[in-house]
Amino acid sequence: MAGDAWRRFSRNLSAMMGLTVVALFYLVAIFAPWLVTADYTAIDLDNVESGPALEHYFGTDELGRDVYSRVIWSARSAAFVSIFVPAFSLSLGLFFGVLAGYYGGWVDTLVMRLSDILFAFPGLLFVFFIAATIKPAVSLWVKELGFTEFAKQGYVDYVVVFTALALVGWPGLARLIRGQFLSLKNREFVMAAQAIGVSEWRIAVRHILPNAMTPVIVAVSGGIGGTIAAEASLSFLGIGLQPPNPSWGQMISDYYGYWRHATLWPLLFIPSLILVAVILAFTFIGDGLHEALNPQSS
Amino acid sequence: MSDNNKAETLMKIKDLKMYFPITQGIIIQKHVGDIKAVDGLSFDIQRGETLGLVGESGCGKSTTGRAILQLYKPTAGSVIFEGEDITTIRGESLRKMRRRMQMIFQDPYASLNPRMTVGNIVAEPLEVHKIGGNAKERREKVKDLLNVVGLNPYFINRYPHEFSGGQRQRIGVARALALNPDFIVCDEPISALDVSIQAQVINLLEDLQQEFGLTYLFIAHDLSVVRHISDRIAVMYLGKIVELTDRYTLYANPLHPYTQALLSAVPIPDPVADAKRQRVILEGDVPSPANPPKGCNFCTRCPKAFDPCFETEPEFKEHEPGHWAACHLYQA
Repeated sequence: MAGDAWRRFSRNLSAMMGLTVVALFYLVAIFAPWLVTADYTAIDLDNVESGPALEHYFGTDELGRDVYSRVIWSARSAAFVSIFVPAFSLSLGLFFGVLAGYYGGWVDTLVMRLSDILFAFPGLLFVFFIAATIKPAVSLWVKELGFTEFAKQGYVDYVVVFTALALVGWPGLARLIRGQFLSLKNREFVMAAQAIGVSEWRIAVRHILPNAMTPVIVAVSGGIGGTIAAEASLSFLGIGLQPPNPSWGQMISDYYGYWRHATLWPLLFIPSLILVAVILAFTFIGDGLHEALNPQSS
Repeated sequence: MSDNNKAETLMKIKDLKMYFPITQGIIIQKHVGDIKAVDGLSFDIQRGETLGLVGESGCGKSTTGRAILQLYKPTAGSVIFEGEDITTIRGESLRKMRRRMQMIFQDPYASLNPRMTVGNIVAEPLEVHKIGGNAKERREKVKDLLNVVGLNPYFINRYPHEFSGGQRQRIGVARALALNPDFIVCDEPISALDVSIQAQVINLLEDLQQEFGLTYLFIAHDLSVVRHISDRIAVMYLGKIVELTDRYTLYANPLHPYTQALLSAVPIPDPVADAKRQRVILEGDVPSPANPPKGCNFCTRCPKAFDPCFETEPEFKEHEPGHWAACHLYQA
């Protein structure tokens, strides 16, 4: 079955292009320390606002920071977002979805009403709200737990962004998983497992879950692009990742004044284009997976 | 097959009822009625026999099988298996009891987990009941089981979708046999298969019965198959057993008008004989099990119905030794 899916996926041109771009994106994120030409935090006030040139490929900004190195390093931020946020929201979605779908009854009502409430807020606005609300608490917490170095590096912002995005992302996944469980738990192979005497927990995990995962994988992979866009929006508005940690959204926010500047316009255009390319690439992979895993519905 | 006269009772089913509630309302669920899928069955199953259970679609045959195995929790009644009422046991002891009773399902495509290999499907009963030794010994046992049901043990690592319907049904049989049960509910095990494959699976089930001394409750809607495999046959209509007797008597001397109608509908592969016989053609549809008629369940369609049929429910009685029926025609 996996072989068939891969064959269909590999024949899909846009999906393969997406896969190429995403592979490149992760390679850049992993090898960022070797790809940069300067320290991405180094300020050089003697050389501010220079256009693209040989010593600074994408030029320097108003603080004289090397924009090329910042763009490369931002790939790391985006890569962290693309891994941790889906992982967090999938864990929450699995926990609540399995609980609601398998046990039903009042547990189901409770979980679904909770997800309805979270759904009722406009998504991005809710992320801003959560990010702004939890940030002081998280900073304090991290310091109390003794991770001072962690806090000094500005990694608290990562935790805040990941948590906010995951808290908004899980209800959709929980609903999907619940729906899968509701339809699968009445299938004959589940009854066959009950007749054998398989425990409820094992039925949920070994019989239902593996059969429920296909649409979940499609939804998670299709959602990564949106997650990266959401992080960029947060950082654009200044409530996401903070300097010195770079992010494409933050750079767009910093450099949008250059958009009609004769020599400095690439400072805005390059991070924007890369951001769009990465988001599109993830979306194409999601669509490709959807078609490869559900051939009858496409 | 077995000798009925001196048989020992393996299972005693008393007044078994399985109602599915009908509810209304989204937040506050109001109970507005019941689907009476199984409505008061009483019968015995002898050790080593095959009891056939026939009836048209929706009459509650499969529900009966599932309620006996406690896959549904029966609304009322008792299922006494070797002296113990299994409707009252729960949890771990019920799980242990499941070793003794297994099920073969109707749809060999739906009853096997598509994400598990054949080896894992057949080994799972051994694993969850912690029998059959270590992983390696279990694997040997699985290979033996595949051999027993006529599958090549070489296929142990394949997935269900790589097999034909008949082969998949054999996998289901192997899984049911893994725990060495005494009693197997065969829920229309051949109705999803091609005719040529049906005979193979029937023969396999008969061979296994002899080899392992199994007792079957064989659910089917195909009368000729039931006649072939069963020692005794129970006929169901709308959640109740209307007639129960040995297979020879049932075909030679059916008492209940519903049984007579069913038997007259079995095709005879002889045009002359087929033209000569009297067909009993039933009018109308089966009433809804949510709202069965007053009196006898069959009174709305019975060609021989008379006054008491519309008033009181006929008693399920033994009219001649071993021949039970629920019909006012014989209640004098």
